[in-house]
Amino acid sequence: MNKLGRQTIKFERPPCILETASIVGPKEAEGPLAKYFDKCLEDEFWGEKSWEKAESKIIKETVYSAIKKSNLPISAIDYCFAGDLLNQCISSSFGLRDSNFPFIGIFGACSTFVEGLGLGSIFIDGGAANNVICAASSHFCSAEKQFRFPLELGNQRPQSSQWTVTGAGSAILSSSGTRTICYTFYSW
Amino acid sequence: MEPIETQKKYQEYVDKKSPNSPILKNCFNAFWVGGLICTLGQIILSICKERGLDDASAGTVVSIILIALSAFLTGLNIFNKIGKFAGAGSLVPITGFANSIVAPSIEYKSEGYIMGVGGKMFTVAGPVLVFGISASIIVGIIYLILNTTGITLV
Repeated sequence: MNKLGRQTIKFERPPCILETASIVGPKEAEGPLAKYFDKCLEDEFWGEKSWEKAESKIIKETVYSAIKKSNLPISAIDYCFAGDLLNQCISSSFGLRDSNFPFIGIFGACSTFVEGLGLGSIFIDGGAANNVICAASSHFCSAEKQFRFPLELGNQRPQSSQWTVTGAGSAILSSSGTRTICYTFYSW
Repeated sequence: MEPIETQKKYQEYVDKKSPNSPILKNCFNAFWVGGLICTLGQIILSICKERGLDDASAGTVVSIILIALSAFLTGLNIFNKIGKFAGAGSLVPITGFANSIVAPSIEYKSEGYIMGVGGKMFTVAGPVLVFGISASIIVGIIYLILNTTGITLV
């Protein structure tokens, strides 16, 4: 592993993205990317009682779906880097606590996912892991509750206001792989 | 493109790029919905007076009914749609204040009744109450001082 310049790492054992999975909410399913998602939910609660529990379920199912697609046993996952937007990363930590793989919670807001990919790659390149799963989740309703206003509040959103994604994505990084998207450089 | 160096320049850039709100349409909707709510209040007031309540009690009854109605509609997920359409028209009357207390109560119920509903109920209305009450206390003190020095304002 070499550091190039100020913020770039060159990997000696380039990690590969073995498999990916994503689950999104109903609004995302209306968009042009709908056909690329593994699963589109019809209901933002997904049978749960709170937004936070729903988000937990989304990230949990996304991670398990990626593992299932990769045909790896769960015990082959060495580390998990995951995060979300909520206090203490509750949706990912609670969602993934039953999986029993070492969980490293990260917070980078919008950059959480690539942050996970970067750290996971360093773990693989350094020989600390063979397979790392990286995941990130957010839920429009839980994010609104945490950062903005309650959903029932009768306010007007500005035309340029952004809409937090309901959904989760995960990717399995591996030191070796056949279906390979490999990368040699990671720039922070 | 020139580099954006100051925060002010960035704000100008954002303002230039972001779409404007349809001000005329918003004002019109706020005007007629707000007017409708006030008319409803006036109808309740007139009925109360007709039935023999004095001015002060009739006013209280109007507030109670409008608050209850707004809280009820908030619970049915209807008030936020009215609010999105009418903006200040439904926000400025007492209906908006009721909505700002009921909405967090519903949202934070998942965190429990004491720390959730009780603790977070005033997250939206809190600043309005703090500064509204503080301002009225300051105005009251000024009024008292002026009154004791013999200057009568009202």
